[in-house]
Amino acid sequence: MGKDPEQFDLKAFRNRQKARNRALGVLLGALVVLFFAITIVKLGVQAEHRQSAQRPAGASHA
Amino acid sequence: MDLVTTPLRMPADWRDFFALTKPRVMTLVIFTGLCGLLAAPGEIHPVLGFAAILCIAVGAGGAAALNQWWEADLDAGMKRTAKRPVPAGRMERESARDFGFALSGGSVVVMGLAIGWLAAAILAVSIFYYAWVYTVWLKPRTPQNIVIGGGAGAFPPLIGWVAVTGHITWMPVVLFLIIFFWTPPHFWALALFVQTDYAKVGIPMLPVVAGERVTRRQILLYTLLLVPLSLVPWALGGTGLVFGVAAALLGLGFLALALRVGLRQSVPNDTMKPEKRLFAYSVLYLFALFAALVLDRFAGLHGWA
Repeated sequence: MGKDPEQFDLKAFRNRQKARNRALGVLLGALVVLFFAITIVKLGVQAEHRQSAQRPAGASHA
Repeated sequence: MDLVTTPLRMPADWRDFFALTKPRVMTLVIFTGLCGLLAAPGEIHPVLGFAAILCIAVGAGGAAALNQWWEADLDAGMKRTAKRPVPAGRMERESARDFGFALSGGSVVVMGLAIGWLAAAILAVSIFYYAWVYTVWLKPRTPQNIVIGGGAGAFPPLIGWVAVTGHITWMPVVLFLIIFFWTPPHFWALALFVQTDYAKVGIPMLPVVAGERVTRRQILLYTLLLVPLSLVPWALGGTGLVFGVAAALLGLGFLALALRVGLRQSVPNDTMKPEKRLFAYSVLYLFALFAALVLDRFAGLHGWA
């Protein structure tokens, strides 16, 4: 029976789980925001390209 | 005893997962990556620039996690690394592996979708280079491990640059080479004052297998290559005078410290002050050199130089 079976602390276990869940939640939330932002920016860039492609040659403005 | 009682194991703290990414090394990765991105000719939307840097950092974190998964046994035997999450028993080895693969894969995919597949491919190569070529293959086999391993740390500015331009030119390659040649003197200076540790776990660090004298000569040799190389971006017209002057001054400092390390021999109970100083300076050197690169570009853009 060698080892002392580690006193299992359910409260500490739950706290650890909760902290992990919270960290993962924040992470996933941040990823949602990031992907949303990337999508919007890329859509904007594409729209710009389309516009400049449609513009008649020679007509350049900012 | 044979009763199958799977003890409910305490799940690893999220902070230990964070520690697995080697946040301190990451600061240098983020910084050099950002400098590559800012110094590159062209523009990138701030959101995309942020995403690119994030991917570089997360990729580096993933590679670091894979490194610690692979080297848990070695880490356990060294004072400097024994307290890392896996060798200290705060995390299961498989968790480090899965975490590493997830970060690596995720960062490459996001880089590809958000920025471009050339940057993503170089990021993938850099992760593979560090986690496999360096960690698994070369580190246990050759005392020149650090030289080749330095390549892994040299990728961030290249990736940052390519994220902006979309193609590789000679400038980002020179930046790559600068970090490549910077790594040996940087790391061997460290290895000189922690050499007993590496000897214990049988990693063939140069000071362990070839002796101190050879290591010191090699530090000097690589510094002699590094200093002129750092002037190449200016000499070839890739940067202005701001970078040229900064590189020359910083290089002279590096050379002076490397000379002291290269030409001395340690005595019993040596405090190894010149080595520690060189190591500390080398970190400062890289930060300052890349900061100068960015400064130079902005000086050029605003017509200050």
